[in-house]
Amino acid sequence: MDPTISVSKGCFVYKNGATRANRKSPAKRKNAVQASEVKSSLLGKELTSQPLYVAYTECWQQLHSHIAQLQAESNARTLEQLEMFVTGAGEGSRDILPTAALLTGINQPDHLKQFESFTRHLHARQAARVCVLQSRDCATLKAAVESMVYNLMETLPADEPDDEDDEDERERDCERKRLRRSQCTMKQLNLWYDNNFGGDGVKRRVLVVILPDFECFSASVLQDLILILSAQCARLPFVLVLGVATAITAVHSTLPCHVSSKIKLRVFQTQPAPTGLNELIDKVLLSPKYAFHLSGKALKFLTHIFLYYDFSIQGFIQGFKYCLMEHYFAGNAFALCTNYNKALGRIQQLTHDDMETIRRLSSFRPYVEQINDCKRIIAVLTDDDYLKKKLPQLLRDCLLYFMLFRSCLEFFTELVGDLPRCPLGKLRRELYVNCLNKPITLQAEYKECWQMLGFMAKDEFIAKVSKAIACTEQFLTEQILPLELGDACSAEMRTELHTLKKLLDDVELATMESHAVAIESTCHLTDARPLGDLTQVASRQELKEQLLQRSKHEKQQSLSEYARALHKVLEHIETHLVLTHLRPLQNAPPLHELFVFSDISTVRRNIIGAPRAALHTALNNPHFYMQCKCCELQDQTQLVSTMPDLSVVYKLHLECGRMINLFDWLQAFRSVLRAGDERDELESNQEQVDPQVQARFTRAVAELQFLGYIKMSKRKTDHATRLTW
Amino acid sequence: MEKICAALESQFPCREAVISSLAELIGDSQEAYPPAIYIFGHSGTGKTSLTNSFLQQCQKQQKVRIAQLNAIECYTTKIMIENVLDALEAKQQSADNMLEFVEQLRCLHGQETQGFLIAIDNAERLRDMDANVLPVLLRLQQLTSLNLCVLLLSQLPFEKYYNKTGLSEIITLHLAQYNKAETLRILSSDFAQVRQELLQQQSHQQQRLAICDEAMTPDFYSNYLNLFLSVFYKACRDVPELRLTARKCFGIYLEPVLDGSVECTDVSRLWRHIAGPLRAALTQIYMRIEKSGETEIEDQSVRKLAQSLELPYYGKYLLIAAFLASHNSAKQDKRLFVKHHGKQRKRMQTVNARAKNAEKMSTTLGPKSFSIDRLLAIFYAILDEKVGLTCNLLSQISTLVHLKLLAFVSGEQNIMDGSAKLQCTVGLEFVLYIGKVVGFNVRQYLCDFM
Repeated sequence: MDPTISVSKGCFVYKNGATRANRKSPAKRKNAVQASEVKSSLLGKELTSQPLYVAYTECWQQLHSHIAQLQAESNARTLEQLEMFVTGAGEGSRDILPTAALLTGINQPDHLKQFESFTRHLHARQAARVCVLQSRDCATLKAAVESMVYNLMETLPADEPDDEDDEDERERDCERKRLRRSQCTMKQLNLWYDNNFGGDGVKRRVLVVILPDFECFSASVLQDLILILSAQCARLPFVLVLGVATAITAVHSTLPCHVSSKIKLRVFQTQPAPTGLNELIDKVLLSPKYAFHLSGKALKFLTHIFLYYDFSIQGFIQGFKYCLMEHYFAGNAFALCTNYNKALGRIQQLTHDDMETIRRLSSFRPYVEQINDCKRIIAVLTDDDYLKKKLPQLLRDCLLYFMLFRSCLEFFTELVGDLPRCPLGKLRRELYVNCLNKPITLQAEYKECWQMLGFMAKDEFIAKVSKAIACTEQFLTEQILPLELGDACSAEMRTELHTLKKLLDDVELATMESHAVAIESTCHLTDARPLGDLTQVASRQELKEQLLQRSKHEKQQSLSEYARALHKVLEHIETHLVLTHLRPLQNAPPLHELFVFSDISTVRRNIIGAPRAALHTALNNPHFYMQCKCCELQDQTQLVSTMPDLSVVYKLHLECGRMINLFDWLQAFRSVLRAGDERDELESNQEQVDPQVQARFTRAVAELQFLGYIKMSKRKTDHATRLTW
Repeated sequence: MEKICAALESQFPCREAVISSLAELIGDSQEAYPPAIYIFGHSGTGKTSLTNSFLQQCQKQQKVRIAQLNAIECYTTKIMIENVLDALEAKQQSADNMLEFVEQLRCLHGQETQGFLIAIDNAERLRDMDANVLPVLLRLQQLTSLNLCVLLLSQLPFEKYYNKTGLSEIITLHLAQYNKAETLRILSSDFAQVRQELLQQQSHQQQRLAICDEAMTPDFYSNYLNLFLSVFYKACRDVPELRLTARKCFGIYLEPVLDGSVECTDVSRLWRHIAGPLRAALTQIYMRIEKSGETEIEDQSVRKLAQSLELPYYGKYLLIAAFLASHNSAKQDKRLFVKHHGKQRKRMQTVNARAKNAEKMSTTLGPKSFSIDRLLAIFYAILDEKVGLTCNLLSQISTLVHLKLLAFVSGEQNIMDGSAKLQCTVGLEFVLYIGKVVGFNVRQYLCDFM
């Protein structure tokens, strides 16, 4: 058998003796070793040594650490406050239970991670014992108290002093065996606390109880738990942390006053999920550091899932990772999607097949077509070595294109992001999507923006443009310059910005003259006024003419010096920045497919589950999944006797209304089967139903019921109710 | 006995009567205890703390063993038994049932201890425990023939405990609520402590310290408490709660005096200063929200709540759909959500019926239940765009249930066969705001407003 490459071929769980044997010895190092072993054994050497896998892991590792760092930073402030509160609560008077309510936002699974990191943090500082108590463990008060006590006493923080020797370990093992669930009571906890932290010299550790999903707890359990904790808190320094998903009113509506008067509530606010996402996209996904890019549609798709469905940043990251995998695993040619120098090194490793992959990219064709030398065309298409020589230049063009795109996006965001009503969107990601999807200058919103910019007051306009320039320059120095090829990019951008600045100076100088023009024009206008006095108009026709004339006149006036200068600036921005650099993907340089992932249909199919649709396809057209020869359908509604009984029954039930008569159904089923077997023609006129057919029918109906499509009706005998619509 | 009384009376003002009757009952361990005493009264009247310190005094001054436990902690009988045995220092500290418990207690005979006192807080919980617990506790003296007394503390009168089998007689002690004068006396009893704390707080600012030192007289404090009680006494008689709030507001009251802007004798101006904060504090009584530096307490209006609640776009629409499903009858769905629903015939009967039911608006009657299928059908009807029925969408429903915006009414176990019923738990105003955020007019789709 050849080694498994695809995960989808099969997953086998087999007991690994090694893990059990290793339990007693220091777990950490072994775990790491095991993890790496597992990884390699899952995918196989053949794959892990491929350049595409190397490129993928490298890229993902970079992104992952960046994301983790960013999240840690954004959570740091809240966690710090919370930690201050928790550790501070250890002192002070202890008749009321100190409680922190953390308003986390609605995606509860995401916040578990946050609490886990908080737990690790507290353990690392040895400031407290922490127990994360989830609602699924707390169906009853007994279960809640038991799991709380158990977790408090048993969870060994991972980084408890590392120098424990084996004896200590064994001792602890014994202790673990001694402690049964039913023994975990508050009394036991009291004893344990007195033994471990009760002495005078020992620093009193706070016992933190975290309820990450406050809303999911049953109210009575929660009330009793709080009453117990508050009764105990004279002896044990408990601190309660509630993860509240909705609002602080949820706490007050769950806890009646005799409970809420036992706690002292402090509210903490975490960063809202959409802000977190924007930060993530701005700082990581759109960072010029990475060669991998998402196309506008793919990014929009992922943000759509986030904003419309679940608000889960974790889900977003996983979706992004999936795109990354999908991109790299398309072939070894995609290993070129790294930074420039590494890509140069990898070009030599490419095989003939990989070169063919590159030739098949859709942007390769325009590239070939624009070469006007016949020989070179042939060379590019057939000679691998020739193409390999050409590749560095092409890759360089691509990378430069993305950098310039990104820098211009910075400028553009600053320019149009805060216009009234934000026609193009105010966030960088929205603009990114807009620019990359379609030629932006052709969109109506773009024209609206330009119009608004044209109407702006002078100092406002100057301030805006110079701010945009400053931002871009800062971006260039901070983000682009440290990169390879950064010099080329920033040099090009800087010349553009320089000319723009000059034009802006013109605008500023234009002030005086435009004033003069304005004054002149007002004088002019006073002459014109009596002429165009509207009261003297005789007919409607005349009025219209006069109005037209007047508006024309005003337009001429507005084309003052200042306005002309302003339009020059805008025009320059449009031609030199927007049109040249903010090009949509279809006008991007050749081979950009190597760097941009745009295949969203696969991703959609794989990361969004559509159970009903899949079931319907499976039952309606089993050929789709089974790939058998016997039941290929020309038409979706066709009924073939060779199909599985279940799908025959299903298709028949689709034709019925809400109630299905079982006898009619059976007859229909029988006739379908009969149509398939011509040799049974003789028996066909028998009234008696073949018991075998009936058995098959009954079984199929039972399966359909098991799948939840029908239910036997209680009201009407021998009828089934359809449950789907 | 006198020593106990004397120690307690200074600690618990206005409770002299109760202390002396307790002392008469169980003050002397040489005499026989009554089998059980039932102490009841509202929360914040000092039941628990009084009993606890009484028992501790007894333990200190006589050869008495005591056990104090909270019935809430005793979610199984075994835990209660163990706790009692542990506290009474029995030899063997575990017993599986009441019979063994009594046996264990009998083993305590012949020691020099003269009496045993067991106090059980939140005694109303005992009713929900095994049927034999409460009767055994009430006759524990008789069963063990020890000089033993069980004190039960609860907020309910003892009549609520009677069951079919009946209970033996019990001595009851009632702790009445403090009246206004008593409350005032209790609150002003910690004057010295408050003064001490204030002086400590101000110790780094000499000028303020001087003013504070001068202004803090018992008169000034009791004046403040008078003002305070005039606002709060109607709303709350829970003494610890009142004490906490009074401390919190006193800082605000004292602030203008410390600034030097108001004389400490100018009561009416001080009142004008404090009236607002007091009223604000009244709305937050029992909430126990602590003010931290940056996050100020947002006002609790529905509008703010609806705006601050972050829900995904489809989540909002699902919530609106759930509200509509809860507050319209299924019969009206066709008329509301199908484009060509045909003309509705107006019959005299229906007009009359509607006129009669004008006050019975379904939005005020509360939510009705609906099935998931109906919810999804309405969701698709009110949403302009076409959305696939995906896992992500379906999981939104369970998210809303988790957030308690929707609730299962029945059939939580069989979601698969479509018989599970949900209902929407948010109010009209809330949904109106949600609708405004996504640009959807909810009123337009409510039968009540047609």
